[in-house]
Amino acid sequence: MEILRCEGVEKVFGKGENQVTALGGINLSVERGEFVAVVGASGSGKSTLLHILGSVDKPTKGTVTVDGVCIDKLNATEAAIFRRRKVGLVYQFYNLIPTLTVEKNILLPMLLDRRKPNVEYFQTIVETLGIADKMESLPSQLSGGQQQRVAIARSLVYRPAILFADEPTGNLDRKNAGEIMDLLKLSNRNLKQTILLITHDEKIALEADRIVTIEDGRIAGDQKRR
Amino acid sequence: MWKAYSLSYMKHNRASGTSIMAAAMTASLFLSLLCGYVYNLWIYEMERVLLEEGEWRSSPAYDLQSGTMPKLLAVYLAILTIVMLSLILIIRNAFEISMHARIHQFGILASVGATPRQIRVCLLQEAAVLGLLPMIFGSLLGIVLSYGVIEAINVFAADVAGRHRAVFSYHPAVFFVTFLSSALTVLFSAWIPAGKLSRMTPLEAIRNTDGFQIKKRKHSRVLALLFGVEGELAGNALKAQRKALRISNISLTLSFLAFSIMLCFTTLSDISTRYTYFARYQDAWDIMITLPDTEITDFLLTKELQNYSGVQDAVVYQKAEAVTFLPEQLQSDALVSLGGLETVAGIQEAEEKFQVSAPIVILDDTSFLHFCVQTGITPKLDGAIVYNQIWDSVDSNFRYKEYVPFVKGDSRSTTIYGIGSDTQGVKIPVLSYAQTVPALREEYQDYALVHFIPLTLWEKMAEQAGGAESDTYIRILAKGDASLAGLNSLEQEIVRFVSKEYRVESENRVQERLSNDNLIYGMKVILGGFCVLLAVIGIANVFSNTLGFLRQRRREFARYMSIGLTPREMKKLFGIEAFVIAGKPFLITLPLTLLFIQFAVTASYLEPMVFWAEAPVLPVLAFAAAIAAFVSLAYYIGGKRLLQCDLNETLQNDALV
Repeated sequence: MEILRCEGVEKVFGKGENQVTALGGINLSVERGEFVAVVGASGSGKSTLLHILGSVDKPTKGTVTVDGVCIDKLNATEAAIFRRRKVGLVYQFYNLIPTLTVEKNILLPMLLDRRKPNVEYFQTIVETLGIADKMESLPSQLSGGQQQRVAIARSLVYRPAILFADEPTGNLDRKNAGEIMDLLKLSNRNLKQTILLITHDEKIALEADRIVTIEDGRIAGDQKRR
Repeated sequence: MWKAYSLSYMKHNRASGTSIMAAAMTASLFLSLLCGYVYNLWIYEMERVLLEEGEWRSSPAYDLQSGTMPKLLAVYLAILTIVMLSLILIIRNAFEISMHARIHQFGILASVGATPRQIRVCLLQEAAVLGLLPMIFGSLLGIVLSYGVIEAINVFAADVAGRHRAVFSYHPAVFFVTFLSSALTVLFSAWIPAGKLSRMTPLEAIRNTDGFQIKKRKHSRVLALLFGVEGELAGNALKAQRKALRISNISLTLSFLAFSIMLCFTTLSDISTRYTYFARYQDAWDIMITLPDTEITDFLLTKELQNYSGVQDAVVYQKAEAVTFLPEQLQSDALVSLGGLETVAGIQEAEEKFQVSAPIVILDDTSFLHFCVQTGITPKLDGAIVYNQIWDSVDSNFRYKEYVPFVKGDSRSTTIYGIGSDTQGVKIPVLSYAQTVPALREEYQDYALVHFIPLTLWEKMAEQAGGAESDTYIRILAKGDASLAGLNSLEQEIVRFVSKEYRVESENRVQERLSNDNLIYGMKVILGGFCVLLAVIGIANVFSNTLGFLRQRRREFARYMSIGLTPREMKKLFGIEAFVIAGKPFLITLPLTLLFIQFAVTASYLEPMVFWAEAPVLPVLAFAAAIAAFVSLAYYIGGKRLLQCDLNETLQNDALV
């Protein structure tokens, strides 16, 4: 079953002589439960694509449908609510709220909706990610690897339709990077979580079921590995 | 290289430059106001001494010849230092915000070999360039403001007795001191953050993640309860900005507290004066003439004054001090039942007698005869009427006094002893013991037996009694409704008439009331002005913070956006922060002001409702509303600019460039 569909997505920055085409007509479809890696060199447009898919940015042209919702037509408020409930975003630099405890950071998307979390599911996530004993800590009191686990927990807490991860291991050492990748794979297999991972590291990409290669804002390759 | 770097930064970061310029101008304005005002105070004092003593002589306050520092100069230098230090603490934040935003840039510069000294000098040069014009402008504005303060004092205190009009003056040396202290203040304010920044290692600076951090777990329980998770986020953000907002919090709270207490104090003072003075003497006088160094026996215009056109009643009187010895058994029954003089007045008994003050009021004969009629006795000029009342200090307070009879009232004569005379005392007949007094603008002692005697009797006993005060008074009640114009005109006519033969000083009730109102109003305006200036510092600090939002809080709001906070919820965050900043002074001030009111109302024995009926609720609320409006405006501008900028890029970087 298709969970993500991109049709002719273009993104142009600047005007006139300064105009830069970051994405030049991306067509992409992702099935529910897939683990897709998008690889490309620096400046190839992969992060721009992730922002558009995550409804943080809008395409200049084309349509994006996530879990049946055409997100390029959403206004700022609708996009924010969509982001909160339907997608999980994991960044290279964690982007945790430094003033909230780990527990509050993880629960934030639900708290914004004034919803109570499923305690059992919450416990499963934090125990799986190995951060159950860090709930009362502040992000600044954790290591980089632990902070990234918190970011992953936060992206999973709302059971999103799809999880977008932008270079999630880019700021970590090899050991921590391996552990984070294992956790992503675990959530993909055990929780049937659809994941779209962006990376420039081909070794990391090899962990995914499918590898999409982007070059100069266009899809240059799409290879299913499993 | 540094010049090009600084110029480029200033050109492209006008907002942070503006807050530095505003800070420099505020500091200069305050220092200039202080220097200008103190200089004029010094000139005024010199003029006063010259006017009073005819020549300039060194006084303890200005001991120029002794070689020690004149007191006023020492006090001025101390105040100047305190103000400079306070201003450094206040405006430092503007420099800190601007410099903090560039930590990453300086980290890069340091990594390619810029020395800490080069970085420090670059920042100080920027501060000097940005601050130069505002310092000049602020100094000039301060001069104008000090002129305004001097003129305002002249207007409001125009009728204060013994005060001469102050003429504003200025000296180039004052400007030099002002500018020097401003420059030192601005440079020291820049020096502190510049020093901190230059001491950072390149790695620390490059890795600087920007944004606000907190070191310990915080819970904003009240805000979370009131506004949900947005309340908690706003509360924590405010806690993380605690240092940056400290000056705003202090300035806004102090200004609001000072404003509220000042208004409550002046209201209480106004009520008190009205109750104890204006209301009490409303019908007792319209015009008062004082004849300095004139004996009542030497004043010969009494009849002419009493028949003067426009005068309804005129009483000429002089006061004399005397005592009497009251045998224990002469105390009234009411006084004895209260515990006697010892309990009520604290007067000690000696040889079964109390020494009691027996002030004498010598009335012109006509007025004394009228007083006889008023008290219901046959008008006669050969005795005294004794005011037979004593304040019951046991069962009543000074604000709402109750009285009991002082003596039994069956004694037909009394012996009084003039103060300062060495006589054996004068025995005078008592015509009556009265419970009333003639309408005079006099307040009688609480535990004294006042003796009203006619001039005829005084002429006979003056030499023997002695103790007369040096001045004679004329109390005049005007015919018809006493308007200010009518009283002024009658006052002038009478002064003209009496001053032909006697030296006179005069005042009239309406004018005195207006002068008193003017003085209180002036005090409110000047102190209120200082409160407003203090609030301006706080608000300027809030503006400086919110204008720096773009750099400081971009990452924070990008994170919120990535999690799914809607624009409306982000605006709500700003709203909550503004609400807390503007609400905190109110919440702190309210209980403190209520405590002050409770204390002051109790201490002045006023009925609380009398105060609350005139409580300055509206001006206090208006002040609070103005603070709230400006803080909201600052957040509106800062928030709008932040939400308008593209936050996507921020999410990908670990540092802002």
